[in-house]
Amino acid sequence: MALTFWYGCNMTRHGEVIRLAMRLLDAVGIEAEATGGPASCCGSPKEADARISGGMAERTVAKFNASGTPQVATWCPSCHMNMQDWMAPGMPRNFETLHLTEVLHARRAALRPLLVHPVPARVLLHRHLGFGGRVPVNRMVAGLLALVPGLTLVEHPLAVPGHMCSSLATVPGALARAQRATLEAMAASGADTLCTIFHSCHRDAVTLERGRPIRVLNWVHLLAMAAGWPAEDGYKAWRNAADPRAAVGEAGLAAAGEAGFERLVEPELRRPPPA
Amino acid sequence: MSRPVPLASSIQAESARLAAACTACGACVEACPMPDFAGLAPAAPTAVAAGMRAALRGEPVSPEGLAWVGACTRSGQCNAACPEALDVALMLRLAGMRLKGALGEPPRLPVPGDAGWAARVKAFARMTLTEEEQTRWL
Repeated sequence: MALTFWYGCNMTRHGEVIRLAMRLLDAVGIEAEATGGPASCCGSPKEADARISGGMAERTVAKFNASGTPQVATWCPSCHMNMQDWMAPGMPRNFETLHLTEVLHARRAALRPLLVHPVPARVLLHRHLGFGGRVPVNRMVAGLLALVPGLTLVEHPLAVPGHMCSSLATVPGALARAQRATLEAMAASGADTLCTIFHSCHRDAVTLERGRPIRVLNWVHLLAMAAGWPAEDGYKAWRNAADPRAAVGEAGLAAAGEAGFERLVEPELRRPPPA
Repeated sequence: MSRPVPLASSIQAESARLAAACTACGACVEACPMPDFAGLAPAAPTAVAAGMRAALRGEPVSPEGLAWVGACTRSGQCNAACPEALDVALMLRLAGMRLKGALGEPPRLPVPGDAGWAARVKAFARMTLTEEEQTRWL
């Protein structure tokens, strides 16, 4: 194994993004394994208790060390920053940490021949302010989108506060204001598609499609579409359905379990949009 | 492989190091996009920064310091503004952890609770990943 794709925890809502990211890595010649979920947590969900948070971080670093992976490619900016700030400094480790966008951007010459299907779209990139000081992720994603035939990346100075949208959700009014600013930026620039970078942004931004002639796609979806790969966003369909339970269907309900769906999934799918 | 330095000790050591280097000049507060949300517009940036520094020292924290730390969304604009070239975003994170009770003190900031977080992550995994993918990737 040449690389571990550490997709974080909340991205299990978008299994297709994990799957497509793995396919992109394979397509550029990188042998990878994916890992995430609570068993590979960076510890941030429990940051109010240093003992628990530190223990979770320690377990994850030990897991990476034991796997023998020389590189860990992150998806989530919180995981990435936690690894740099206190997971790695606190423990011996035998791997380096990169962001997935860095890995793919460095191999974009290998991606280019795969991206042959035009994706006609005027795209606004959903840039955040916060993570660029660690990884130039906005520039990396823009560089990857430049490989997509038919796609135009519109120019607009939109830069959303926070390192990703979940951080804004904890400050009353901040996420709604950021989403309104995003819609205004799309209108001003003539964009018909919003391209999210991070998962926590995507899962809230998908609701912007309701009643508006716009699309919300993640950069991985756009690359997959250009490669001609299936890139259906099931979570978006559930979240925007008038009846999420019906949209999920019997197979989805059976997979989640009726009690689990009612208690854990359905409240999120029925939550009012931020803006 | 055990952790040579427990996270709590790291938090205390980094807090002390960064607080000692901070002059509470307020440049970080002026560069921050969040004071407007936290109702801090009228507050003096130096007083707000001093509140954050007090949190790092484990001292009593002013209401404006508490509000600023609580409103941090990790925009990182503070780092570029700091004349001492400190990692102010990390200082805010450390202050936030301490004010949420990470070191065992009574929390002064609300602790977001999501008791169902891990179960929810797994429920969505069952809905969006195949059984083989769950076995390999979860």
